[in-house]
Amino acid sequence: MKVALFVTCLVDLMRPRIGFAAIELLEAAGCEVVVPASQTCCGQPAWNSGDRAAAALLAKKFIAEFEGFEYVVAPSGSCADHVRSEYPAILQDEPDWQARAVALASRVYELTDFLVNVAKLDNVPGSFAGRITYHDSCTGLRSLGIKAQPRALLAKLPDVELQEMNGAEECCGFGGTFSVKFGEISAAIAERKCANACATGAAAIVGGDLGCLLNIEGKLRRMGDESTQVLHIAEVLTAK
Amino acid sequence: MKLRAHRFKQNALEALANPVLQASMKKAKGKFVDKRAIAIKEIDDFEATREAAKEIRNRVIENLDLWLEKFEQAAAARGAHVLWAKDGAEICRLVVDIGRKHGVKKAVKSKSMLSEEAGLNLALEAAGIQPVETDLGEYILQINDNEPPSHIIAPVVHKSLDEVADLFQKTHHTPRKTDIPQLTREAREVLRQHFLSAEMGISGGNFLIAETGSVALVTNEGNGRMVTTLPRVHVVITGIEKVIPTLEDLATLMRLLPRSATGQSISNYVSVLTGTKAEGESDGPEHLYFILVDNGRAEVVGSEFQDMLRCIRCGACMNHCPVYQTIGGQAYGWVYPGPMGSVLTPLYTGLENAIDLPHAATLCNQCGVVCPVKIPLPDLLRKLREKQVERHLRPWFERLAFRLWAWVASRPALYGLGTRFAVRYLKWLADGKGSIPRLGLAPEWTRGRNFPTPEGRTFRELYAQRGRA
Repeated sequence: MKVALFVTCLVDLMRPRIGFAAIELLEAAGCEVVVPASQTCCGQPAWNSGDRAAAALLAKKFIAEFEGFEYVVAPSGSCADHVRSEYPAILQDEPDWQARAVALASRVYELTDFLVNVAKLDNVPGSFAGRITYHDSCTGLRSLGIKAQPRALLAKLPDVELQEMNGAEECCGFGGTFSVKFGEISAAIAERKCANACATGAAAIVGGDLGCLLNIEGKLRRMGDESTQVLHIAEVLTAK
Repeated sequence: MKLRAHRFKQNALEALANPVLQASMKKAKGKFVDKRAIAIKEIDDFEATREAAKEIRNRVIENLDLWLEKFEQAAAARGAHVLWAKDGAEICRLVVDIGRKHGVKKAVKSKSMLSEEAGLNLALEAAGIQPVETDLGEYILQINDNEPPSHIIAPVVHKSLDEVADLFQKTHHTPRKTDIPQLTREAREVLRQHFLSAEMGISGGNFLIAETGSVALVTNEGNGRMVTTLPRVHVVITGIEKVIPTLEDLATLMRLLPRSATGQSISNYVSVLTGTKAEGESDGPEHLYFILVDNGRAEVVGSEFQDMLRCIRCGACMNHCPVYQTIGGQAYGWVYPGPMGSVLTPLYTGLENAIDLPHAATLCNQCGVVCPVKIPLPDLLRKLREKQVERHLRPWFERLAFRLWAWVASRPALYGLGTRFAVRYLKWLADGKGSIPRLGLAPEWTRGRNFPTPEGRTFRELYAQRGRA
């Protein structure tokens, strides 16, 4: 099946290797992967900050780029959910666009959800060895029901030991622009998340949303922890 | 209560720097969250009950005027006076008038958030009527120079035992004690005198029941019953949205309220109070007044924020909110803290007076998940943000930033060029290290954490290269 990869702006800028890992996983599941070259950002930051006009502009751009594909996959629950759940609301005053948004919505997936439930990936190419702990990102968890999927994939790696942390489902304090509007509050929430994660003795904190991961990594480093790795699940599941 | 919501950021920083508050909040979080999780498992059809509760509340709010009229008729038929107040000032005026009419010198009070909205205690004092808070938490706040509450059901959740011990010693002139039962007994002894000598009792109301004209009170301390049945005069102050159709509806909502609030199957006391004392009855008030308050609520009816009026004030949203858990309730700067407060405060006091509150949430949606009446709190917060943008209330640089980002992001070539430079600049700034401790572009971010270093090339660059290779 033909899958368009939405790389997400954070992956594009900060951690391109997550994008390549996602391609590798999708190909391992037998998908033909296309990466539309003109893609940029889904517009979530603008929408969450109340800028409907900016959000609508980017939503239309996204729809035009991706509506021709059978499936659209993003290595981020939050971005995938933004397209699925919010685009129809963003475009409510433009019925034509809204209809296109609705038509696209059900074909947009978060990466692990797609790998498990649609592509049914069997052989995971990763080679990670050691104890990890998994942070459930809020939107993926509560809006898309992503909980079992990443764990099922991790279970396919024989040398990965998953140790659940206390409060795995609690917010890490990132919240998109929340983290730059209220830096101190956000960092204090992240501190709690890091403490819970580190208490598991894991060598790596793994998650499915780069925003959360950058937040957690930034806090760990500020706390003086230079050794605990913070990885996107796609990185763990591939040989990257 | 004095509005301090415009100082949210500053309030939050003070809360973060307060070790007593931090320790207390940590303790409270575990208690509320864990106990609720256990209590909701007791009902098999929890989700269906939530849906039913939502429907009950919607049914009322969609025809609020009709249900209020029904309530008014039923309450009047049982000897109560139903009065209407449009704002806090009017609440104060009405209560003072009632007090004067009945020669009241002292009023005992059970918890009422509306009384906080109105700043009623100050008005009573000014009119020569002594207000005495009798909910233990509210009493502690009152003797601490009228400190504002930090939670709608646990007003002193931010305080430590030591602070309360000091306060009691100072106020009661008794030897300092730190045993909780002993402290509670001391408060009871002080309060008992007030119950017996007060001419007026003032309470809030968890629900007003339209079919019977009753008020339902849900409490864990016996004070609520004393306040409402001992004095000659009882004044109930509630928001107009608190009405529900029937006692059966009350039963449905009561399955959710204590479980969501304190994690109890049922609270220690549930009182349904109807009418004045009848002949031959030994207790109950001779005069019963209901003050039904608008204070911004009527305007929410029919608006895109109407869902908020379903709120039954359980506090579950704040108990589960990562932001509330971190800064406590006083930082929110008005009567209602946490996610529900971040919606209510701007709606009731004006968007411009609570500029930060709609943004003071990570939109993690845990509040929406735990809300017993399914209020879509994150959606409402986002809508408030949109209203602020429409009214140009947010700082110009913030509005510009999103416009600029959208403008660039809708031009792929420009976006590609800009991001290429940006990541190279960041990589250079990191100077070979894994993260950047101080970043001028995102000063707020690096106040409490480092900024991780980007790989140095964008995905689109690398992908284009790979394609050529």
